[in-house]
Amino acid sequence: MGKLALTSLAVAVLVLTGCSQKSPEVDMTKGTGDTKGASSDGMSALQKLIASLEANSKTIYFDFDKYSVRKDQQSNIDANAALFNSAEAKSFSIKVEGNCDEFGTDEYNYALGLKRAKSVKDGLVAKGMVADRITVVSYGESNPASTEHNKDAWAKNRRAEFKVLP
Amino acid sequence: MIKKFVVFLCLAIFAYAGDATVEIVKKIDVLPKIAVQDASPKNVDVSSRQSFYKLIAGDLRVSSHFNVLDEYLQSSYEGGPLENFLSDKKVDMILRFSLTQDINAATVNVKLINAKTGVTTFEKVYSITDKRRNPFLAHKIVVDANDQVGAPSVKWMEQSVIFARYTEAKKSEIVISDYTLSYTKTVVTGGLNIFPKWANADQSAFYYTSYSGADPTIYRYDLKDGSRKNIISSPGMVVCSDVSKDGTKLLLTMAPKDQTDIYLYDIQSRKITKITDYSGIDVNGNFIDDDKRIAFVSDRLGSPDIFAQGIYDKSFEKLVYHGKNKNSISTYDNYIVYSSREADSEFGRNTFNLYLISTKTDYLRQLTASGENLYPRFAKDPDTIMFIKQFGNQSALGIIRLNANKTYQFQLKTGKLQSIDW
Repeated sequence: MGKLALTSLAVAVLVLTGCSQKSPEVDMTKGTGDTKGASSDGMSALQKLIASLEANSKTIYFDFDKYSVRKDQQSNIDANAALFNSAEAKSFSIKVEGNCDEFGTDEYNYALGLKRAKSVKDGLVAKGMVADRITVVSYGESNPASTEHNKDAWAKNRRAEFKVLP
Repeated sequence: MIKKFVVFLCLAIFAYAGDATVEIVKKIDVLPKIAVQDASPKNVDVSSRQSFYKLIAGDLRVSSHFNVLDEYLQSSYEGGPLENFLSDKKVDMILRFSLTQDINAATVNVKLINAKTGVTTFEKVYSITDKRRNPFLAHKIVVDANDQVGAPSVKWMEQSVIFARYTEAKKSEIVISDYTLSYTKTVVTGGLNIFPKWANADQSAFYYTSYSGADPTIYRYDLKDGSRKNIISSPGMVVCSDVSKDGTKLLLTMAPKDQTDIYLYDIQSRKITKITDYSGIDVNGNFIDDDKRIAFVSDRLGSPDIFAQGIYDKSFEKLVYHGKNKNSISTYDNYIVYSSREADSEFGRNTFNLYLISTKTDYLRQLTASGENLYPRFAKDPDTIMFIKQFGNQSALGIIRLNANKTYQFQLKTGKLQSIDW
């Protein structure tokens, strides 16, 4: 055995095929888009009414890490209940969307958004809306009203908004 | 015989930003000093060679089992007396690689050389059919080199990471990557797609929540054939929080009656069993104790905390008595890692730190010291934890090596991380 004594030299070939993936990519918007009967200005009368109702609804804001409706927001709940119970809106369903600030990106944050939406739904029902007309959903921190990073932006993002569904 | 070196391990600094764990360690340890030599043919472009060098050197550092010479060296593949000993560098061993590539594929010849004797102790040829996946090639090489010196396995480096990243309001994509984010491949786009979770140990399928339909829906996506299967929908929210070891059962957070609770879902029978029943927030179920019980997050005592209960037993117990606001957990056998909000600040940035506990003892260890450290996830190896580090609209993947007490971060180039799994 010399200075550079030979060690057993294992030469192996390893082929890494990378899970033999087929390069799949799915676009979740394909095949799920809404069909719309648009007028010449791009919106049907129904769409205009829905847009008007949504624009006239009042956003409900929440305290940090809380999901109970603040006293100063109760008048907005009352106004929304009156709006959604009006003759022109009464045939529509209402979806309440709960949202959170940027702190936290976990299930708890989504659940917090859902509890906010549920508190608003309960408030609307207490003001005479039929519960079956109202659905709730949480967007967690995914749908900020403001993308700035300051206390005013965070306060704007802790909110519930409304979608009117035909 | 390998010469012993004194290494002071403090804050780890990789090619990326570092983060201190709370236990700042200044210890005397013995790590083999290793040099990485690039022996690639001259016709291989310099950027590819240097990128591969950085991957190898980075992996060796993250393994925490080597003292890596911080110098890009070139050599011939056969090596001469100077190249095989590197006497002036005072290294114990040399990892030499030769990278060759064609349009699609890549091949790497690798040698591990004892720099004290000049003897090649290990040699292997690695190839990959898609050179975009070169980072996985580098990780495999380092896993093997690490095994050669008898160090604890770092096979976790070969795991694929899956994550969701926000791209704009109500929009996010699902991406598969390596742990350094050097390789990324977007697999789901369009609308809001969140909470991806690997469906099995071989990472050939995953679950995720899509908001593309009337209600949030969990899909199972098979990477082998690109097929997608609707698993379950729920009003409000629905998340696949955990998958049983055998892949046959899921823990779901659902809100069929506007109220989040944790449910067990049997893949074969499609049977759903409600596990928790509370009027507040119950989320983030994780299997523990051989999948017989679950740990979960609940605000049933006023603020989010960690509890455990049997799957068919409604009595629950609080698992953690430290801290006040724990909002995300991951489990590995009897260990739980969780994120805890340290201050309830409405007016400034919040601090979230990670902690590790045992369900069997009073063991508690703080893993991070500052910033927003979220969404911890164990690797298949309980010595390694991945987490999300947030900086405003930017984020990074963090890797904690528990035994070495080191943390590394890998910056996400675009978008903001929503959730991760690996």
